[in-house]
Amino acid sequence: MDKVRNGLRTLKEKLRGQGNPTVAKIRRQRALRERVWKGLPYIRLLLFIVGYLWLLVIPSSQLGQGTYIDENALQPGQVNTYWSWGDVHRADRVLADLEQLRERTAGSDEIARYAVAEFEKYGIPARTQQYSFDTVAGNISGTNAYAVLQSPRASGTEAIVISASWLSRTGEGDGTLNMRGVSTVIALASYLKKSSLWAKDLVFVISDGYLDGMQAWITTYHGETQPNLKAEPLSLQSGVIWTALNVDYPGHSFSHLGLFFEGLNGRLPNQDLMNAVSLISRWTVGVPVVVYDHIDPRDDQNQPALLPAWMPDVVKGNKDVQEYAARARNIRRHLNYQARGAASGVHGLFHQFRIDAFTMFAVPADGPHGFHAIGKVLESSLRTCNNLLERLHASFFFYLFVAPGTFMKIGSYLPSAILVGTAMLFTGLGVWVNAGWTHSPVIDGKGEKVASHRDGKAWQRRHRPVLQAVVIMAATHFLGGLLFLLVSSSWYAANPQVNGPILYLLFTAAPFIVQAVPPAPPTHASIASVLKAFNLCFASALISITSVLNFSLAATLAVFLGLPLSSAAPSRTSSSTTRLAIYHAYSALALGWLVLCPEETRNAVWNWDVLRVWFAPFVCIVYVPLVLQAGLVGLLSV
Amino acid sequence: MDGAADYAFPALVAARLALAFAPLPDALKYDHQLSSPLTSYSRLREGIYLFEHGIDPYSGGFFRHSPILLSLFSTVLPLTPYTSPLLWTAVDSVAAWALVRIWRLRTGAKHTSRDKQIAALYLLNSYILLPSLAFSTSSIENMLCLLAIMLACRGRASASLFALASLVQLSLPSILLAAPLLLLNISRPVSRLALPRPFEAPLKRTIPLFLELCGYVALLTFASTLVCGNWLWVEKTWGASLTLPDLTPNPGLWWYFFTEMFDHFRSFFLMVFSVHLIIYIIPICIKFQHDLLYATFLLVGVLAVFKPYPTLSDPGLFLSMFAVFPEIYPYLRHPIVTALIHLHASLLLPLFNSLWLRQGTGNANFFYASTLVFGMGNGAALMDAIWAGLRAAIGKLKEGYEVAQE
Repeated sequence: MDKVRNGLRTLKEKLRGQGNPTVAKIRRQRALRERVWKGLPYIRLLLFIVGYLWLLVIPSSQLGQGTYIDENALQPGQVNTYWSWGDVHRADRVLADLEQLRERTAGSDEIARYAVAEFEKYGIPARTQQYSFDTVAGNISGTNAYAVLQSPRASGTEAIVISASWLSRTGEGDGTLNMRGVSTVIALASYLKKSSLWAKDLVFVISDGYLDGMQAWITTYHGETQPNLKAEPLSLQSGVIWTALNVDYPGHSFSHLGLFFEGLNGRLPNQDLMNAVSLISRWTVGVPVVVYDHIDPRDDQNQPALLPAWMPDVVKGNKDVQEYAARARNIRRHLNYQARGAASGVHGLFHQFRIDAFTMFAVPADGPHGFHAIGKVLESSLRTCNNLLERLHASFFFYLFVAPGTFMKIGSYLPSAILVGTAMLFTGLGVWVNAGWTHSPVIDGKGEKVASHRDGKAWQRRHRPVLQAVVIMAATHFLGGLLFLLVSSSWYAANPQVNGPILYLLFTAAPFIVQAVPPAPPTHASIASVLKAFNLCFASALISITSVLNFSLAATLAVFLGLPLSSAAPSRTSSSTTRLAIYHAYSALALGWLVLCPEETRNAVWNWDVLRVWFAPFVCIVYVPLVLQAGLVGLLSV
Repeated sequence: MDGAADYAFPALVAARLALAFAPLPDALKYDHQLSSPLTSYSRLREGIYLFEHGIDPYSGGFFRHSPILLSLFSTVLPLTPYTSPLLWTAVDSVAAWALVRIWRLRTGAKHTSRDKQIAALYLLNSYILLPSLAFSTSSIENMLCLLAIMLACRGRASASLFALASLVQLSLPSILLAAPLLLLNISRPVSRLALPRPFEAPLKRTIPLFLELCGYVALLTFASTLVCGNWLWVEKTWGASLTLPDLTPNPGLWWYFFTEMFDHFRSFFLMVFSVHLIIYIIPICIKFQHDLLYATFLLVGVLAVFKPYPTLSDPGLFLSMFAVFPEIYPYLRHPIVTALIHLHASLLLPLFNSLWLRQGTGNANFFYASTLVFGMGNGAALMDAIWAGLRAAIGKLKEGYEVAQE
């Protein structure tokens, strides 16, 4: 028995090592803690570098993969198309009528009534819908026309929308007319009426204006109310809309079909839909597809070069560099739409109701394609959408379209922003731990220095003023809310050039109130350090979480917040002028847009007012306060 | 309310009432995170409607509220757009008041400067506030739970046990709290975390209390059966906690497991999940026999993590109860990490819920992942509370010493 016991003991010792296992465990833990603490600056640096480099590498030709169709039911391009020159002739006739209307400067009511008359001529029930938006910048009103072609094969519980807006998306709705797009939809309606194979209702919408008309129509269709919108109820109804195709054809001919897909608040449509239409366009009809209206200068000598002229030819001639430049242009455009939550076309309004939609943009050119090609693409695409037995659902909603036929999966771009966020988190945690300790003389109970330590000093815990820091943060976010109320008011809209700078000065000055907060006693940690820790942790959580919702916004935040917030330092030595200068740098970063981009601000407020895009409130209530807090960190460290 | 808190508490309640009457989106009432199938307001309304029209609400599969609530709201307290906000505000206020009373009884002071902070921590805790704005009956459960604890602290054994029996009527898993509450009734609620000692009061005294509890439960069960006229309600209300018939997503850990489970494993794992809840009672009551209020607090935390149909107000109750135990704060090991996990979880939960169910770009796994993060946050808070509660007994360490767990 003893033998067994001894044997067990030796075995135990061999496994756990000599001596007291608890002591060994404590040593191990201490060593690990020490190593992590010593390595923290390097870990942070590494995370920042890898994160930012990753952001830069995203356009690289080495990343990304070819697009493919995930949903088998789509079966793109498996049908014969029968759209013929006769139908093209009908489209031409509609176009001639529309041009006459334009020449007579007909009102939107008359144009809508013309469209309704055309639809009804082919035996499709059609109606008009009047609407008006009451915005801070003034009143917007118009008239939509829509027609519902009942599905001959099913009960009409599902529907596909084919739409064209009166204004093209050229120049983000700069007033270019989309008459050919409208003619295509009307002519297509008369053509589609003839076939009996539709399993879903086809809803044709000619929306007035650029985005406002469709917003009025689609919200009314879904029975949503918007306080500043007055719209006629829709007397023709159909089922659940699954997909929507928006046609934008501003020129007299086109060379490429461009894909525009960003929706409101950064929502993207299912990639399968665009992949299917791209396949059809390329292989059934023979129209090349591009992302946006970006025609690659490598394909077309007339396009402006993407690389700056001063680059040496060796670099300019490099295939990878050229590919990088082309992809970077697409990604920049994407970031620009998605980060601001703006729709890149009328399709963007559908996404809020779970409808997969995108815009087919006929890139204006002298040729070779026209009504014949776009009609064929639409016919075949509609047949593909008609095949769907359920909504497009595979997790194909998170992607970056970097080039025609190439995309990046979420795993290949998401980590960039998350890594920057993690670096900020570690910085914040480091600041938090540091704030809790002080290297100061040890005082014993009798008020005398204890000599047992080297130079009489030792690491001691100290109190961290959590409540004050949280109150300051809450106050700045409250201030941000106030800023948003002012920016979205009609007072600001009346004169942004003057009121912008006024607001800038006001909101730069307001945070100075924190200097009234009594400073923490010297035995406690400074409020500034706790504020910095919380500020960084909160910003990092925001970046990581926004990245799933809207990657572009998260990446932009990572760039604008990552380094500035991490380098906000409570420095004790600098003079008050330097500290003021640093604070003003932060306030310029936070509020500079008020002075520098009044146009951009107006757009964001319009988007909030009419389309409920939360970019403007997000900037005011989340972004501005975070940067101001970082500014306060420097200001508070007296 | 007296002393320093005499204006703060009414102000908080008034603010809370104003919020309850504010025009909030109706979607709040249908949010999965704020009310579970067992506590949902719309289901309660439907059950009352059926009941008042002479249809047995328990004959369907939709209504799972206790007959006690059914009889209460169909007779004395009708639910209308005006009474409900008042009622739920009152419920929250009583709960906050009970929490403040618990704190006072623990410190033995008549009123302290922390009173308003504690009331604010309960009334403004968003995990508690939002379910209450959604009129989830989990607010009522929270109130009963705090009342039972408060009365037990005061030594009002009968009242406390009756509150507990009512709580069990509303939510079966709360029976977990019976053991520490019985013991709390015969001991005192003052903080002994720093000075642990064996349980003094004779355990025999719990036997009559236990019998009394059984009596109350039997009485309420009988009353419920009388209200319904049959025993169907037992299967629909208590049975739901054990057999999980409704897999509507919630922020807890059960629903996803059971959506994925093959049917022939289902009963086994239901048993495992239910029994798993029970195993915590005895160890926690033994380890914290010197401070049974703390043991109760820990079991509230266990319920918050592992309950079958939790809403946000269950973890909310656990987190708000932290306010009563300031003596453990210096011994918490990783409060900032727990806080950060909660920050992430509270942003992720609504986001992934809407990505899955509103935007349609995500799927169930998204929301499940966020509930896991949330569960991790609550688990971390619970572990830390256990550690700090034990660690408090050792007190401040001399330099060069360290506490280790064997």
